[in-house]
Amino acid sequence: MASSRLERLLNLTAALLTAPRPLTAAEVAERVPGYPLPTGSPTFKRAFERDKDSLRDMGIPLVLAPVEGADPPVEGYVIPRDQYELRDPGLEPDELAALHLAAAAVELEGLRGSSALWKLGGAPPEGNGATDAATAAVAPLPATPLLVPLFEAVAERTPVSFTYRDEDREVEPWRLAFRRGHWYLEGHDRARGAERQFRLDRVEGEVALGTPGTAATTPAPARAGAPRPWQYGEGDPVVASLLVDADQAPWALDRLGDDVVAEHRTDGSLVFALPVTNREAFRSFVLGFLDHAEVLGPPELRDDLAAWLRALTAA
Amino acid sequence: MPRPNADDRLRRLLALVPWVVAADGPRLEEVCARFGIGEDELLAELDTVFLCGVHPFTPDALIDVDIEGGRVWIRYADYFSRPLRLTPEEALQLVAAGAALLAVPGADPEGPLARGLARLAGVLGVEVADALDVELGTVSPALLDTLRAAADEGRSVEIDYYAYGRDARTRRVVDPEAVYAAEGEWYLSAWCHLAEAPRRFRVDRIRGTRVLDRPEGDADGAARRRRREAVSRTVFEPSPDDPRVVLELEPQARWVVEQYPVEEVEELGDGRLRVRLVAGERAWLERLLLRLGRYGRAVEGADGVAAAAAGRVLARYGDR
Repeated sequence: MASSRLERLLNLTAALLTAPRPLTAAEVAERVPGYPLPTGSPTFKRAFERDKDSLRDMGIPLVLAPVEGADPPVEGYVIPRDQYELRDPGLEPDELAALHLAAAAVELEGLRGSSALWKLGGAPPEGNGATDAATAAVAPLPATPLLVPLFEAVAERTPVSFTYRDEDREVEPWRLAFRRGHWYLEGHDRARGAERQFRLDRVEGEVALGTPGTAATTPAPARAGAPRPWQYGEGDPVVASLLVDADQAPWALDRLGDDVVAEHRTDGSLVFALPVTNREAFRSFVLGFLDHAEVLGPPELRDDLAAWLRALTAA
Repeated sequence: MPRPNADDRLRRLLALVPWVVAADGPRLEEVCARFGIGEDELLAELDTVFLCGVHPFTPDALIDVDIEGGRVWIRYADYFSRPLRLTPEEALQLVAAGAALLAVPGADPEGPLARGLARLAGVLGVEVADALDVELGTVSPALLDTLRAAADEGRSVEIDYYAYGRDARTRRVVDPEAVYAAEGEWYLSAWCHLAEAPRRFRVDRIRGTRVLDRPEGDADGAARRRRREAVSRTVFEPSPDDPRVVLELEPQARWVVEQYPVEEVEELGDGRLRVRLVAGERAWLERLLLRLGRYGRAVEGADGVAAAAAGRVLARYGDR
């Protein structure tokens, strides 16, 4: 019966939370009714293992520790209360309502939904504000299996290692970033001694976790806006001058921001000054405008684009 | 709905019991509403709690559940006085959802959500703004508001839209259904009166909107409902009738497979590929071929497209 198992799990949790010292399996069987006996039997072991897995799965800190003074030495189980309890965040009703709304509007695909909110006190009664229709956007965020362990690594300053573009990387994780539809890990690449971004869906295989708390670098502040594709890469940037026709200018302005506008022309077209370190990415961006944009300079970039196109007309 | 298993029920009880303990006699309906549970189910769960406690299970070692006048008290459950802390998965879920909603253009950076997230972060020991950065795409907040309001109120909107695939601007009347962010962009799904079909529009390509007083065309609610249903059912995928194009790609152009929905991929050796993909419209294909340059060659379905497009762009560079 499911309800008697629930009862057993509740009693087990209570017993281990209140235990003054770690309890051996035999002591658990004594204090928690409902286990198949005797304690040496395979059915008891199976039932106890299953219960321990259940508690661990839901995040209950089940600690295995030596029982003091026992001879011969044995190990027992305990749930340290300070590791079990959620500190009260002291949420105001409107703040809790806003978090509920967020969880309803933004689904992190594949992750468990409601249990986090239960722990914070469940759904607050209606009429606590914050249910502004303007925020009721639906934005599914894709989740990859790496997201949870990496988030934990960021929070606990745990160095991580993984394979990326066929190379082994050792990274001090700073933050997870969701940009242009993909999750990235940003952090300090130890071998390169510099900040790097890694797209999570391009991480190959598993992520190995190091020792928590040993990531030494101080996270650089999040950039205002992700770097553009043409800003990735090494070396000194060349400042490209890009003319965008009036028709496409508002869109380009939205994308690029007004701090890179070098000139407003009277016909409504705009000239942008863009720092370029990755020429291929810049060329792709410019070609997206078809014949509604033109690289004005410097001559090396302008000639590069023209040569690229000429190869196509000759073909 | 399937009956939750013992693990899910335990998860809920370990949150519900501390809340009831602290609330000191809340009404049963409120407990049900907060924890998404029916009253019968709640009473059954409370019966289970009533049987629980610690060794030696004498009356003073049992949890006391008292139900009276539609209210409930739980006492002698000191060990369950605080909920279990959030798992990393739960924390990520909440923090990511909150950060995403704060990333919606026009969100209040000092509103209840931002304050709630900050308090939560304090308990979790992470600085949300530092640990998680969500960007949903840049669009004008006013435009988002207009489209959302139109969807909520069932109004039609005339939009000036840049059709990327055809490289052309059009004016059309649409009935907005939903506004959402996906794959790094904002989209509007709507009934399009120009196409007489459901369509999906990139919000950043909408220039200028005029909200109409009443739905365009028929005032008949039934027809309108049918359209709304058609929009919400539509999964925006290529149709089997759309033209296809076959490309041969050099190793430098293998990224096409990652970025475009290719239907067939064939290895040609030495890292070269032959792929078949839905061609979309003319301007879309032109952009792809121009970006590929000499690393890609259309072998079927795009005769002369690349050369003609390259010639048009080259005209701006003083030669052709």
